Amino acid sequence: MRRAAQGDEEAFALLYRRHQGALYRFALRMTGSAWGAEEIVQDVFMTLIRAPKKYDPERGSVGALLFGIARNRVMKHLERIPREVPLEEKNEDGSGAGIVLQDNFTPAKWMEARERMHQVRAAVLDLPAEFREAVVMCELDEMSYEEAAQMIGCPIGTIRSRLHRGRALLLAKLELLRDVPRRMKVAR
Amino acid sequence: MEMFGKQQMNCEQVEAIVFDLDRDSALDAPERAAALSHLSHCSRCAALQESWQAAREELRTLGEATLEAAAPARVEMRLRQEFRTKHRTMVVRRGTMVAAWALAAAALIVGLVGWRNWEQSRRAETAKQTKAEPNAPASSEVAASQTQPADILAAALSSADDLGDFTPLPGAAPDLTEPSEILRVRMERGSLGALGLPVNEQSAGDWIQVDLLVGNDGLPEAVRLAQEEN
Repeated sequence: MRRAAQGDEEAFALLYRRHQGALYRFALRMTGSAWGAEEIVQDVFMTLIRAPKKYDPERGSVGALLFGIARNRVMKHLERIPREVPLEEKNEDGSGAGIVLQDNFTPAKWMEARERMHQVRAAVLDLPAEFREAVVMCELDEMSYEEAAQMIGCPIGTIRSRLHRGRALLLAKLELLRDVPRRMKVAR
Repeated sequence: MEMFGKQQMNCEQVEAIVFDLDRDSALDAPERAAALSHLSHCSRCAALQESWQAAREELRTLGEATLEAAAPARVEMRLRQEFRTKHRTMVVRRGTMVAAWALAAAALIVGLVGWRNWEQSRRAETAKQTKAEPNAPASSEVAASQTQPADILAAALSSADDLGDFTPLPGAAPDLTEPSEILRVRMERGSLGALGLPVNEQSAGDWIQVDLLVGNDGLPEAVRLAQEEN
């Protein structure tokens, strides 16, 4: 970071490559939009280029700083575009990002799984931003509660509470979207 | 925690922790055991847990689907471009700043040296004048006699005290309140007749010095014989 701040382009590129993936995934999962995530990652590093003094080693790691900026940008993005259910996400080479077609998958099963993934993604994106953030960090990114609390900068109890409510909402949505709600089936 | 070891949990308590049952670090052993015990005989809570496990699996699949997601290469290109531009601009700006400071410093030094030289020369001149002061009138007289032209010696005198012994020329009415110039002229005495003054013919060929009081319009208004006549 110090070298990058002094104008070492390769050091900057190294820093970018080390952190961009996690930031991009977080932004993608929060916004559900590839272009939105791209803009956010670009914005985060632009901020770092323009104001490298924002980084203070005594206040935390570069990763934490970048995540903080990304989180801020994500929230702004969500305020601007509150709900955005994405169309099919594409990789850079134009192929679809999502389910990997396995050998034992029939086209019907593949379609079903694909449809279900869209539903799950839509359900996640439909959560209020605070709950969605907790779900994305602890369920999709598989962070521990401590890590998530540290990243967001809130007590661990807050994370637990948001996560619980987020999971409950998510579960209710997913159950509604199932053809035969599982709970009803079990209750019978 | 002790209470979960001895007591059974109710549905409400299980609902509060059911999402964390498959997270090892989230619950301690007695709490987990009490919850599992409840799930074994409560179909409603067991269904809830089963639903959550299915949902969690789907979330995991969604997470895996985007596990390798990364920003496109064009983002890195754009950022590198911005990085280069920013640092080039900074270098240019730094160079400009250095040049500006250097110029300012040079201007200051030149100014100081110039002022010092001027001050030194002024002091030297003052010292020279102080030394030369006793002989000053004599030297100025010599200088005047050396530089005076043959016919006209012009002296700019502005003191009103000198105007008292002037004789107004016929037809002229000198205004003594107006600033005027005194012109010292060497002429033949007979030329005074041309100014309308009486002249003794016998001494008309003598050379005299006269002071002419010249008005703003450039015409002589009064005349007197110069006191330092040679």
